[in-house]
Order: sequence, then C-alpha cells, then structure tokens
Amino acid sequence: MRQFMMGGLVESNAEVREGHYLLSLRLPLSFALPLPGQFVMVSLKGRKDMLLARPFSVSGFNRRAQDVRVEILYRVAGQGTRLLARLGIGEDVDISGPLGRPFEISPAINNVILVAGGIGIAPLRYLLASLKAQGTDRTLRIDFYMGAKTVDELLELETTRCLCDNLHVCTDDCSMGHPGLVTEPLEQAIKSYPLNDTLICACGPLGMIRRLSEILMQYPLACQVSLEERMACGLGACLGCAVAVRGPNGEKQYQRVCREGPVFNLRDILWD
Amino acid sequence: MGLEQKNVPPDLTVDIGSLKLKNPVMTASGTFGYGEEYSPYMDLNQIGAIVVKGLSLEPRMGNAPPRIMETPCGMLNAVGLQNIGVRAFIATKLPFLRQFETPVIVNIYAESVDEFSILAQKLSEAQGVHALEVNISCPNVKKGGIAFGTDPDMAAEVTRRVKDATDLPVIVKLTPNVTDIAMIAQSVEAAGADAVSLINTITGMSVDVDKRMPHLWNITGGLSGPAIKPVALRMVWQVVNRVSIPVIGLGGIMTAEDALEYLIVGARAVQVGTANFVNARAIPDIIEGIGKYLRKHQMTHIDELIGSLRSR
Repeated sequence: MRQFMMGGLVESNAEVREGHYLLSLRLPLSFALPLPGQFVMVSLKGRKDMLLARPFSVSGFNRRAQDVRVEILYRVAGQGTRLLARLGIGEDVDISGPLGRPFEISPAINNVILVAGGIGIAPLRYLLASLKAQGTDRTLRIDFYMGAKTVDELLELETTRCLCDNLHVCTDDCSMGHPGLVTEPLEQAIKSYPLNDTLICACGPLGMIRRLSEILMQYPLACQVSLEERMACGLGACLGCAVAVRGPNGEKQYQRVCREGPVFNLRDILWD
Repeated sequence: MGLEQKNVPPDLTVDIGSLKLKNPVMTASGTFGYGEEYSPYMDLNQIGAIVVKGLSLEPRMGNAPPRIMETPCGMLNAVGLQNIGVRAFIATKLPFLRQFETPVIVNIYAESVDEFSILAQKLSEAQGVHALEVNISCPNVKKGGIAFGTDPDMAAEVTRRVKDATDLPVIVKLTPNVTDIAMIAQSVEAAGADAVSLINTITGMSVDVDKRMPHLWNITGGLSGPAIKPVALRMVWQVVNRVSIPVIGLGGIMTAEDALEYLIVGARAVQVGTANFVNARAIPDIIEGIGKYLRKHQMTHIDELIGSLRSR
C-alpha cells in the first residue's frame, strides 16, 4: 500500500453547521487515491499545544490537473479539532495517508445499506460518492439511513438524497424525519433486504454500532463498520487505538483501528 | 591536514559495553513496533539500534481502551505491554530485522525473576539479537514491571539472573517513579548491568470533566513527550555522576537539540520515543542534526561531546 507524508495547504475550512466543518486540503498529485473507509493523519506545523496528529476519515477526494483535494468532514470535539477549526485558507498542515483498511464491497453485492449516526457520515459520504462514480456496469441499490441528535446536525442531506435510492432520516429530538434512533427504521425494514447480496456499511456512535449488532443477531446481514479510537501514530506502532475483536481462533484479542481497521466486520467485534 | 579534516564526516560511533553502534540514536521500546511499521519512511540501517516493543514469555493482550490521551506537551499511555510473545517474535519478526545492519535490542518484561531468566536464555539462542533491555519500569501492568524497578534489591536480583542467563550486553531500563533513581542505577551496576537506560514514563493521570471519569481505562498511564524532558535530563545527569557504566538517556527527545542536551550531560546514547509518533522521520532528522552540530563545532568524534557539560 502506498502511503505518504506530505505538506498540504488549506483550500477551505468552512463551518457547514454549528460545530461541524468541511476542510479541503490541496495536496501534490503524488498523493495516492484513498479508498472509501481509509483515513489520514493531520497535524499542525510547529504547534506546542497539539503534539500528536489526529486521524480523520476521508470524506471526499478530487483529482485536478495540478493537484488533488482531500476533503475532511469533522465535528469539533476536543483540543485538536478546536485548533483545526481555526485554520485559515492557505495555511499549511502535514498529512500522512491514506491509511488503514477500507470498506470492501464484493461484486456479489447488489444492495448496499449505509447507516450514519451524527458525524459518522464522514467516511460514508466518500463511499457513497465512489459507489455512484463507478458508473453503469453495476446496478447497486443504495439505501441510506441517516440519524443525528437534531435537524441541524444532519449533514450533507441534499447531496445524499440525490445520490442514494432511498433516504431515511431520523432525529433524536423529533426535529426531522423519524423520531428516534437511526437503527429503528432499519430494524423495521431489515427483512426486506435479501441476506445473500446485501451489505451494511455503518459509522456512528458506539451505541448505534452496538444496537446494529443486536439487530443483526436476529437477521444476519453482512455488516462492515468504521470505528474510531484515540491514536498517537496512525502507523501501527503505538498500539493506542485498540479494539477488542474475536481473533482467527475465536479468542479475544485487541486489534489496531489504524491497521486492521478502521473498517471491521461487525460480527468480529466483542462488546463486553 | 586541517583542510582535509573538514570534509571528513564526524565519527558518531559509540560503544555500549561490547555493543558497537554507528551512531548514538536508538528507538525507544514500544514506540517503533518491531521496525516494519517505519520501514516505508526511512532506511532502518540509518538507526543506531532498534529497541523493539517489550516482549514477554507468553503473548499479552494488553489493556482495554482507551489507552492513550494527549496532555499538554505530552501523552499518557496505558497499553499494558500488549505483545506477541517471545516465540512469535523470534519466528515472525526477527527475520525481517535480520536484513538490516542495525543492532536489535530486545526489551524484555516478566512477572517473575525466573521468567526473566528464561526469556534471556531464549533470546540469547536466537540469531540476530544483539543486546537485551530489561524492563523493570513499566507503570501500566499489575505484576512485575515497576515493582522490580522501585526496590534496589529486587532490581539487582533481576539483573543478576538475566546476566547469568545470557552473554549478550544487558541494559537495565529504570523508572523515574522513585525517590533516588541513582541509587537504583548503582544497585544494578553492582549486579553486573552493562548499561542503564532512563527514564521510562512518569506515572500520570487525566480526567474527563464532562463524564467525571479517567480518560484512560487503566486510570493511570505513563507520561511521555516534551513535558518530561527536563525531569529526565536531570535524572540522567544525576545517574551519570554516580555510575561508571554507560547511561542511555531518553525522555521527550523530539529534535537533535534535545538529544545533544542528553549527550552533553553525559549520556553515551539516546533513545527516541514519542517523537516517532509525531514524525515518522524523527530519528533520521535527529542523527543528521547531531552530525551538523559536531561539524559546526569542529568536533571529529562524538566522544568530544559526550559529558562535556561545563560548570557555570
């Protein structure tokens, strides 16, 4: 896998909703094409108040004549993202990537269900765009279940509506769409999806992922989830980003979100 | 003669006991995996020595997440010595490392003195291990680790047993979480240690005020990074003045200048840890910077720098 460490310039860093930003970075043409689900490590140059780089899912990628654009959709959640949100156009950042294991959609799949909770839409935005860009040789049906706390945190609503076949919107506070958790309308419709050619790709809070795993215990659709964990290096060395999974012999082991993930098979994840 | 000398690159070689290094910059255990993770970013032959992630006799699962947290100018970690165990290391990781000229130092961890002895034996029989670093200083495991490193008699006992079990140079890695680190250093020196490395991380803690919970699953973790450098440097200086074996300095080295400080106070070599996470090319940058400094100060050999601290 080709990986790069390079400097990038901020092309734009707009607050798309309160506390949510879309960062577009301009990088040299040599930056490798990220696969949907992969992430990049972003660090700010020469900052004493942000030592470690921060991992972000790739939310978009465009190749231009002279350079490429990597898009990162993020929510301000702590010190690192607070500093990132202050970046202005033309400022430089260091980036390494693309890193990690992407979503893998086999040719046998005809139905893709995307499930996003809150900022979990970040990698699914790129996955959806990539699936649509693959063109006419595949007739995928794509259903999107998008949930957020409130209507203001439903990101990319219109683009998503245009790109997918069915969009189900949910809000915790009943401000739009189905009132309640994003897993509820999915659970109601789940048996309408054939077991043999459907794949769920999900990203969101752990509670959502856990609920998904319960639902899929009853109706075992294949499901890949993108997970998040604090990490120091993003390269597999620090062992900070551990997630408990079932190993090849069924035993509990910790795997690295940065290397064996961030995309995991949901049924491998251990919850206790 | 003078003109010719100007073009000769300064000699960076140092000896740690019988171990000869082409330069004094090593990786710190637990920050460089088993080397493979960093090979896309540098030629591993450039490094003075590779100290691999701490190994135990049996594989260890490590602690539950969250395992790390960034703190001002540093980070806390509580990985809990997750590792593949010594057999898997020899079978699957050592062959990769043998391709390089860089000496491999294996950091070992055990819960009992007997286990330390077995580990040392197994690694001495393996081809491609050049020295052992005895971890008696890990703050993130329940048994062993720091328990051996805070008691001078226990530290000496572990050192003796490892020395008895191997002909490889033995480096003992010390914890800063003691009242008098130089006393522990003297104790392991008397027990036959070929060198000491210090410091391991400083035990710390961080709390999420919204959740009113520790950030780390393990509650406490080991602090590393620039925040600990002044403390570590002071300890290295103290130990250098109290032992005659080589001292390997580590703690918060991010740049060549940081490494130079350690060498000037008398460290024979340095280890770079957290900086690898921040910049995958930190080590080659530091080695280059040390060379530049020596040239600038017209030193032909790094020995002229080591321990050259002047009094005020």
